Amino acid sequence: MNSISISEKHIASVRNLKLAYNLDYFEANNLRDFFVKGLKAPIDFLLKSKETYLAVDDVSLTINRGDRIGVLGHNGSGKTTLCRCLSGMLVPSDGTVETHGEVRPIFNTTISVLPELTGRENAQMLALLLFPEMTEVEREHLVKEGLDFAELGNFLDVPFKSYSRGMQARLCLSIITAKPCDLLILDEVFEGADQAFQKKISKRTLSLIEDSGAVVLVSHFPEHVEMSCNRVIIMEKSKIIFDGPVEEGVRIYRKMSSLSQI
Amino acid sequence: MNERIFKRLYWEQVKNLTIANMKSRYRKTFAGFLWVVMSPILTYGVQSLVFKHFLKIDIQNYSLFLLGGLLPWIFITQSIEMCTPLFLTNRDLLLGFKINPLVILLSQILDNFFNFLFAFLLLLIPFWLILGDNIGGLPYLFFALINLILGLIGVAWLLSILQVFYRDTRFVLPFITNVALFLTPIFYPPEFVPENLRPIIEANPLYLLILPVRTCIYNFSSEMFLSQILWGSLVTIATLSLAYFYWGKKRNEFYIHL
Repeated sequence: MNSISISEKHIASVRNLKLAYNLDYFEANNLRDFFVKGLKAPIDFLLKSKETYLAVDDVSLTINRGDRIGVLGHNGSGKTTLCRCLSGMLVPSDGTVETHGEVRPIFNTTISVLPELTGRENAQMLALLLFPEMTEVEREHLVKEGLDFAELGNFLDVPFKSYSRGMQARLCLSIITAKPCDLLILDEVFEGADQAFQKKISKRTLSLIEDSGAVVLVSHFPEHVEMSCNRVIIMEKSKIIFDGPVEEGVRIYRKMSSLSQI
Repeated sequence: MNERIFKRLYWEQVKNLTIANMKSRYRKTFAGFLWVVMSPILTYGVQSLVFKHFLKIDIQNYSLFLLGGLLPWIFITQSIEMCTPLFLTNRDLLLGFKINPLVILLSQILDNFFNFLFAFLLLLIPFWLILGDNIGGLPYLFFALINLILGLIGVAWLLSILQVFYRDTRFVLPFITNVALFLTPIFYPPEFVPENLRPIIEANPLYLLILPVRTCIYNFSSEMFLSQILWGSLVTIATLSLAYFYWGKKRNEFYIHL
């Protein structure tokens, strides 16, 4: 559901969400293996039941206007999959995901559209792909503001492929963080920029978080969550095991992390 | 947001990404553009010379016959070759933001289509000036080209998803298209094929997409064109439906495999 309703209290509602992946594709990832497997044991190949992996298992969650949710959890706990379901990139195997208003997910901050083109041209393309609903004039204004913020000077007219990783992050982050939305999903976006730019972009990201209707922030670093969130979710083995205040959530997560290191 | 606005937004993305693709490919110069369109023109020139003058294929207006088959064939095979790895080469973009993969695919196909169209028209104009009214199907060319591009979108969409799951798809394809070129009546007419084998040869879906284009410029008859465009449309509907179904079924695994 994508009906925009600014006064809507619930920005997203997830009910008994399950997301299962078919594991068969991990066994044969080329046509040759697929062909050999089919010829070697054709009956098994045709009739064998497919093995699945539950990446998100029976998750329920309501996101209200004003929520700034930090999602903590170890690798493979289902954080990114949950975010991709919220953004509509993945389709639930079971359960429902309903969102109201504009949802903008950001999972990477060093991306170009066409590396052979200049930084300026890539910024324009990125803005077009991220903010298609804006008019051309509005988008031009947004790009100009983003490019001024990136402080890349003459490098803006140099091909993006020749940028250092830090410069790529500068350009990309400056555009990404230029406009708030109803539900902002940020997956590990504090990483990537160089030290000098880190402070400036963190301030801008925090302001973006403040201005957006609700935010889901995935991070491995509890300090990022403490700095910008008012609610914490901890995921473990594809389930939500904690949903509550930041202080308590961070304390539990730190305890979990120290236990797993023993 | 209603569906019409969504369609307009996607179309704007496709249009701008196509322009950006062209800028990037031609290095923003006319010479870069010429470099890209020269390849099909040279291939056509060489094949025309070899089959007409060396192998002495005895067909009236052979160069025009070859133009109607070979250039669409090159457009299809080049597009397939470029589109198959497209989702993987754009994996960071597709995983980084919510972007419809079709936007990327369509912009690549449109970029190739403009190159094809330029080369095709450049070669067709002299024939048109010489033969004039004898190229009777030109007003129908638009429909044949629309069908060709839609059918190609279905094929390319299917193959680009397949490549995400089976990483050797792009290496198997050149072998298949090379073999298919000889088994498809592109540089020879279907009448050259023994009658009992003709139905198999003519069932090639890529041939069914190309045939209406050829008929528009070579030996046009409205009954023949109607029947061919009908078959071509069936191929288009089948490939688009298959690609749409495959995408719907594999969508979740698609993102994890990228």
